[in-house]
Amino acid sequence: MNIENIEIIRIGVYATSILLILIGLYAVLTKKSLIKIIIGLSIIDGGIHLLLIGIGYIKNGTAPIFSPGFENASAQMVDPVPQALVLTAIVIGFGVTAVALALIIRLYRHHNTLKIDEIKNLKW
Amino acid sequence: MVGSPVLLIAIPLLAAFLIPLLGIFWKELVRIIPGLVLGYLTILSASLYIDVLNTGTIVETIAGWRAPWGINLVFSPLTGFLATLMTFIGFIIWLYSYRFKRNVEFEAAKKYFIFLMLLVAGSIGIVITGDIFNQFVFIEIVGISAYALTAFYTGRNSAEAAFKYLIMGSLSASALLIAIILIYSQLGTLNMAEIAANIHNMPPQYRVTAMIFFIIGIGVEAEIFPLNGWAPDAYTEAPGPVGSAFAGIVVKAGIYAMVRMMFTLFDISGPMQILIIIGMITLVVAETSALRQVQLKRMLAYSSIGQMGLVLVAFGMGTKAGVFAALFLMLNHAIIKPLLFFSGSYLVFNSKEKNISEMSGLGKLMPFTAAFFALGSFAIVGLPPFAGFWSKLSVLTAAANDGLLLIIAIVLLVSIVEIVYYFRVINRIYFFKFDKATSVVPHKPRVNALIAMAILAILILVIGFYPDSVSEILNRASEDLLNTPDYIKNVLSTGQSLTY
Repeated sequence: MNIENIEIIRIGVYATSILLILIGLYAVLTKKSLIKIIIGLSIIDGGIHLLLIGIGYIKNGTAPIFSPGFENASAQMVDPVPQALVLTAIVIGFGVTAVALALIIRLYRHHNTLKIDEIKNLKW
Repeated sequence: MVGSPVLLIAIPLLAAFLIPLLGIFWKELVRIIPGLVLGYLTILSASLYIDVLNTGTIVETIAGWRAPWGINLVFSPLTGFLATLMTFIGFIIWLYSYRFKRNVEFEAAKKYFIFLMLLVAGSIGIVITGDIFNQFVFIEIVGISAYALTAFYTGRNSAEAAFKYLIMGSLSASALLIAIILIYSQLGTLNMAEIAANIHNMPPQYRVTAMIFFIIGIGVEAEIFPLNGWAPDAYTEAPGPVGSAFAGIVVKAGIYAMVRMMFTLFDISGPMQILIIIGMITLVVAETSALRQVQLKRMLAYSSIGQMGLVLVAFGMGTKAGVFAALFLMLNHAIIKPLLFFSGSYLVFNSKEKNISEMSGLGKLMPFTAAFFALGSFAIVGLPPFAGFWSKLSVLTAAANDGLLLIIAIVLLVSIVEIVYYFRVINRIYFFKFDKATSVVPHKPRVNALIAMAILAILILVIGFYPDSVSEILNRASEDLLNTPDYIKNVLSTGQSLTY
């Protein structure tokens, strides 16, 4: 593989992740349904996770473990830190989504609707 | 050595896990354990802090990975001061809410105490961690427990307030994560000290972008102007002690994260216009909004936001006097605002619609609560014998030293606005006739709540009469914040690290 292909893959990953973040942001800002807002938040999370993974990307990389046959492969190893971070971020995103869905259940019981412009007892 | 800084995070997390299990055996344990934990944490944090003042910063290595690679906890004169303040306020909040929902709902009380423990653990974590990703995780812990605490009451509009808070909180957390990714992709490290040491190697366009994302990411917890829309609703809909926990603990952690980022991470020295401008807008908008509130808790929430704006202005001056004033303001706000929320929630408790107009004559019915509220109001607007006077004076002198006359003018003008809206409440409490039609039979504060309020009131008076008693501590803390080279050296040098 030559260098240009690596750059194309890298830019593709970054562009996709930023596109996902923007799609999610659009959903959060414009959608009226509470569920769709939460889906938008999850899409933003997905985009950020992809961006995070993209940083550690190496063409033809190996797992960051010193095993037989890979003693001198440290230049080929992918960066393990972004992968550890992304695991943590996924768990946090899961927790936030769970809390948000619980709140939506509560809101639905209280207002009998999922439309955000009908829930305005407080000043938004 | 009495213990290690990691216990400040580990013990409340363990307690949050154990509370529901131990509650099966004896329901009273659900209330007792948080008090024991927070009391122990206060003692531990204070003794570690005295240790730090005498011998120097403690840097704790977690799991044997030394500073640039692993997570480390930094317990310095600044972080130790804030951690001690937070654990102490946490203990006072526990004392106030010891009988919370007693004999009514065991399940509700259990959840309240679990989330209170998580909130305290997360806030202490934000302050003492030395790793930006770790800080992000703690900000999320604080966020999730704060959303849950906001939505505590099922009957009110609390879920709406919590949902609003959640949307803003998770969007800003995404921004924070993007900032962390930017820094990691450029510098290849997550350790704050190593970032601070290498930040000038980062191209300026990346640096500015990362800084903007950081400000958006931390701004929600720090209640800066465009990002604080959640605060008035959350403070109003959450239970009284939770409002004081937000004002006394969570916001302090947010401000710390923001200031640590500006001063250490991005290593900016001298005046920071961005902090001054954000702080000024926050101050003016919040205080003028507070003026037109009809609900007491909303008014207190806007007042809290305004105080944080003033803190940011003082930090933004970038001088030692400015940082000293900002830390003094944070200390005073952490003591005074919980007192106002404690006494204010009893005043609100006795009015149906939570409106200030329904509180006529409550001063004669509940003399202690009203007196504590009046004392807190006098202190926060900065009347002379109380604590708030000295912090406001130090902000003004710090601004005068730098010749920032506009800041002095706006702060004084805003103080008048503050006096108007606080004294309006006091006037109504004391000098209006009690109206039987609008008010219900007064709920008297319980003994433990009165003790909690009395401790805070005594502290306000002590700091008011002897401001020198805290100036040494604040001096050491502000020197610590401004001295980035020492921070880097302390964290990255192996000689002073302590491994347990």
